[in-house]
Amino acid sequence: MTANAAAVPVRGRTFACKVNEVAVGQPRIVAFGRMSIGIFQLDDGYAALLNICPHRAGRLCEGPVCGTTRPTDRAEFVYERAGEIVRCAWHGWEFEIRSGKCLVDDRLKARTFPVEIVGGDLYLELGR
Amino acid sequence: MFIVDTDVHNYWSSAEVLLPYLEPYWRDFLVRGEKPGPKGSFPHGHRPWLHPEGFSRHDIRPQTEEDNYLIMKEKHLDLYDIDVAILTADEPLEASTLANYHYANALVKAYNDYMIDWWLPKDRRFKGSIIISPTDPHGAAAEIRRLGAHKDIVQVLASHGSQRPYGDPFYHPIFEACAEVGLPFAIHFGGQGGVNHNAIASGPTTYYWETHALLSQPAMTHVVSMISNGVFEKYPDLYFVVIECGVSWVPSLMWRLDANFKALRKETPWLKMLPSEYCRRNIRFSTQPLEQPQNVKHLWETLEHMDGQNTLLFASDYPHWDFDAPTNIHIPPAWRDKVMGLNALEVYKRIEAPAAASARVA
Repeated sequence: MTANAAAVPVRGRTFACKVNEVAVGQPRIVAFGRMSIGIFQLDDGYAALLNICPHRAGRLCEGPVCGTTRPTDRAEFVYERAGEIVRCAWHGWEFEIRSGKCLVDDRLKARTFPVEIVGGDLYLELGR
Repeated sequence: MFIVDTDVHNYWSSAEVLLPYLEPYWRDFLVRGEKPGPKGSFPHGHRPWLHPEGFSRHDIRPQTEEDNYLIMKEKHLDLYDIDVAILTADEPLEASTLANYHYANALVKAYNDYMIDWWLPKDRRFKGSIIISPTDPHGAAAEIRRLGAHKDIVQVLASHGSQRPYGDPFYHPIFEACAEVGLPFAIHFGGQGGVNHNAIASGPTTYYWETHALLSQPAMTHVVSMISNGVFEKYPDLYFVVIECGVSWVPSLMWRLDANFKALRKETPWLKMLPSEYCRRNIRFSTQPLEQPQNVKHLWETLEHMDGQNTLLFASDYPHWDFDAPTNIHIPPAWRDKVMGLNALEVYKRIEAPAAASARVA
């Protein structure tokens, strides 16, 4: 799962991995020195999250990619947003993969990185 | 100081005071039926442990039915200048231990009529609790609707020993009725034995003091169940009052609940707030028996985490052996006005606020 990428800057961005190395529902964890980032393939593109949960520093991106239950007014279970949520591997807190927003605590947000695809290569903007 | 005592036990000299209030069939049960004690005992499925000295203070020895009130007036209401005393009955709570829920319903119904006839008119300070037998939630709901509009009835009361946790949808007819008549739902220590679960999760204890120290266990279960089953989403204005179950366990339970909810909220998608937020909004706890650490500041620091200034209600538990006098309750001095009386005005809407108290509330 983990790959050591050659840090070759391209227009301010850093090569992370080949696009075909990231599968839907199977984030690729890439190490940049001591930094670990999870790269996700979504229906409409790619997203990258720092692999550290802002809750208790767990391995955020190594948890299940899944959906969640819609807030309801009675005992019904409406499963939605399949593939848009990652549950932290440590404590199960839910985060939107695209935005890093924490579903259970508004004050927390996982760090995100812009993704750019050039040909078959996937680059991240690490400086932000 | 405005004092509302939220746990005052109104005894009787004999359960036979209920006879005039029972239908003939159930009157025969009480007169000739089997009982756990001597003549005049109240029927219930008996618990496995017994207080070695009896439950009452030894300076309270009524000889007649009238004594029950006169001694309470002299040694409690007048002595401590109590403004409002919420009556919480005594043995009737144990009706919930009976397998025959028809009989249980008849007994609590008779008690409620007796309490309204005999106790409430005795003293302007008295407010009543409708005792229910939750083993039959629809019967309990009918009783709540029958008496819920009475001007001096302020809450619905059940034992904290029960067949299942109170948040279970089985019990929701009770809360629907409470919401309909605008009364809080309260539970009070007791009701273990018979068809109800034992007080202690791992099995029966041996000694009374051992059991009493663990009285928080069922209350913890009920609090968690009421929150997780969405009772307070379904009935957002319902107050749940936990009487005589201790209090210092509340903060640590809420810490655990909030953390677990954040991890597994998808199990209960009907919840819109953190468990601790429902607790703060909808649940109130009576002070007695307040825990007694060596250093009282340890208790106060703990109570701050449950917003004790706003969530605690004073209770004396008169006339029981672990009675807390209003003059000797160890809460932070700055909290006294609210905990001793003003907080109760939020929960018990039918208690008339004195002018001075109204001004402070505003």
